[in-house]
Amino acid sequence: MLNNIINFANYWWFRYLMVTELYVVEKWERVAIHVIFMVLFCVFWYFNYSVLLSVTGNLFGYTPMGNILPGVQQASGIKVT
Amino acid sequence: MGNVDDDSATFEQSYDCANNRNEKVSTPISNGHIPSHAFVQQKVEGQLSEPELVEEEQNEEQLLLNKHLKFSAPAYTEIRTRSGGLKFKGTSEGSYHPAKQLEANGHATKSGSKCEKFKPSQADGVLSAEQEHYQKTSFEDVPLHTACLTYLGFYLLMILGYINQLLFVPKVATEKGREGYVALYDAFESFYSRYVYRRVRDCWNRPICSVPGDELVLKDRVTDDYGWSFRFTGTETRCLNLGSYNYLGFAAATGACADDSEQRARQKGLAYCSPRSELGNTQLHIDLERLTARYCGVEDAIVFGMGFATNALNLPSLLGPNCLVVSDEKNHASIILGLRLSGATTRVFKHNSMRDLERVLRNGVCYGNPKNGGKPWNKIMILVEGIFSMEGSLVRLPEIIALKKKYKAYLYLDEAHSIGSMGPTGRGVVEYFGADPKDVDILMGTFTKSFGSAGGYIAGSKKLIDFLRTNSHAHCYASSISPPIVQQIYTSMSIIMGEDGTDTGRNKVQQLARNTRYFRRRLAQMGVITYGHEDSPVVPMLVYLFSKIGAVIRTLTTRHIAVVGAGFPATPIMEGRIRFCLSAAHTKEQLDYALDVIDDVSENLGLKYSRKPRDPKIIEY
Repeated sequence: MLNNIINFANYWWFRYLMVTELYVVEKWERVAIHVIFMVLFCVFWYFNYSVLLSVTGNLFGYTPMGNILPGVQQASGIKVT
Repeated sequence: MGNVDDDSATFEQSYDCANNRNEKVSTPISNGHIPSHAFVQQKVEGQLSEPELVEEEQNEEQLLLNKHLKFSAPAYTEIRTRSGGLKFKGTSEGSYHPAKQLEANGHATKSGSKCEKFKPSQADGVLSAEQEHYQKTSFEDVPLHTACLTYLGFYLLMILGYINQLLFVPKVATEKGREGYVALYDAFESFYSRYVYRRVRDCWNRPICSVPGDELVLKDRVTDDYGWSFRFTGTETRCLNLGSYNYLGFAAATGACADDSEQRARQKGLAYCSPRSELGNTQLHIDLERLTARYCGVEDAIVFGMGFATNALNLPSLLGPNCLVVSDEKNHASIILGLRLSGATTRVFKHNSMRDLERVLRNGVCYGNPKNGGKPWNKIMILVEGIFSMEGSLVRLPEIIALKKKYKAYLYLDEAHSIGSMGPTGRGVVEYFGADPKDVDILMGTFTKSFGSAGGYIAGSKKLIDFLRTNSHAHCYASSISPPIVQQIYTSMSIIMGEDGTDTGRNKVQQLARNTRYFRRRLAQMGVITYGHEDSPVVPMLVYLFSKIGAVIRTLTTRHIAVVGAGFPATPIMEGRIRFCLSAAHTKEQLDYALDVIDDVSENLGLKYSRKPRDPKIIEY
């Protein structure tokens, strides 16, 4: 069972490396690219969280979640703009 | 990519097995084994007792049995390279089993093909030429996601290359004391070969140490620094050869061709060290030219010592600055070089697109030479190849001949790959389409491929050839063909023409046509994308991604199949491909084995891109 899962993960990891051409590069380059991927992902996530969410909120007239929740001061506690 | 952990017991076993059955195994070098000295001795002894050897060679069944034996396990046992994930089937599950298949299939067992209903490679002529072309040629589009991924991967490789170059000094020789000089070598090309090509360099230029017949022996090499340098392990791997342009199987160390060439080398030496127009002209060359002219069905022919130079050096003597050349976009580098040297104006038309060709021709005729104030061109020449070696497609000859006659242009047909391999008797695409050879003004071809030799020829009218004899640089300055090479061409050509009194040549051509159809249909059934015409023996299988080329070649090598990959500089970025070249020397068993492995590999590596409906029936050989 565990073996199967490991095999499955291994196989698809291999396929992933293949389609991104990371299969042919050196180990440190693979790590570097993955770090770049992660950084890009985080930047996008933060951008979506901080900018895109508020812009779309304003655009469509949704009230931010923090303003609706009772008993929570504005801009304190959960910060969901 | 040798199998290093293989133990020698299996090898001994197979060899003992061969000995017990009193059969001569031609090269019992199994994968990854140091060639044993005992075997070399054995071979020498075998050579000494010649009458025995001759007897054995005459026994064809025995030979066939040998072929089965040497091809069976353990030389083709599976070697796992990766521990995780990949679920390759065992080779024993494939249909390659000597005992089962000795007489089962319709393969040419004794002397060529048995099957009567088989139609040789030839245009059907039922449909119009255009319809037939579209019916038989396939160029499937790339799936969108694969295209995106290919570009993404390529950019990643480039980014990594730049990072690499920034951080480390490349391990190559650098020139010193050249400050202030302009770089002598093109920057992008060296960058590309250092940081992209180098990563899969082990898949190209692999040294071999045997005749590249239906099988070949690869010298194993490993790299310790990611492709910057290689070292030989001293072991060898015997592989099924799907990479040589040995279409008719004349590249062999034994047989009539090899014997004749050897004899000729003993009689006449190895080279004349002089051009044809001086001291290098002999009766041999004249005979070869006459035979070539007869082979092509034209008045006269001229032969040269190098196929590439035949194009590159003869085009400049035929064309000048006030000439228009209409050239197919997939034409070979030698043609492109020749056109550049000639100084003629070159217009390119889309690959095999008759509409585009006609547009270019019409414009050329209507508007004339713009550099010369719109005066008419001296001559207009259409330049095409018979089989396009990277695409595996066939020229649309009947339509091109019609266009050529309509616009009064000349036609130069490069039959480098198609001569010998196409048509019912191997006379090239001209015979395949049933065209008249005299309709093609200049028939060019090489002896490198089907004839298993070296050199090239140009055939045509007596006038053309006489002109070339006085004007061609390749004729006047290049050294003439060496005697054993001429003999190899002469013998193989006579065999194809049936002048040796047997039908070996005809059988070879038929066997090739058969192998081609079978291989292409099986690949289509698997669902991989192949390009080209169904009768062309060059079969490019699209894998698109750069790393997949590497992965496929490496995996196939561990399964004892040697193939050739083609990547970016030779093809568009998006269309990395594996190119199979079929041969009449391949037997059905070998192809079946290869196809089973390819099926397995393409399943595991995700190469089955095709969205066409697949043929559910079993493909008959």
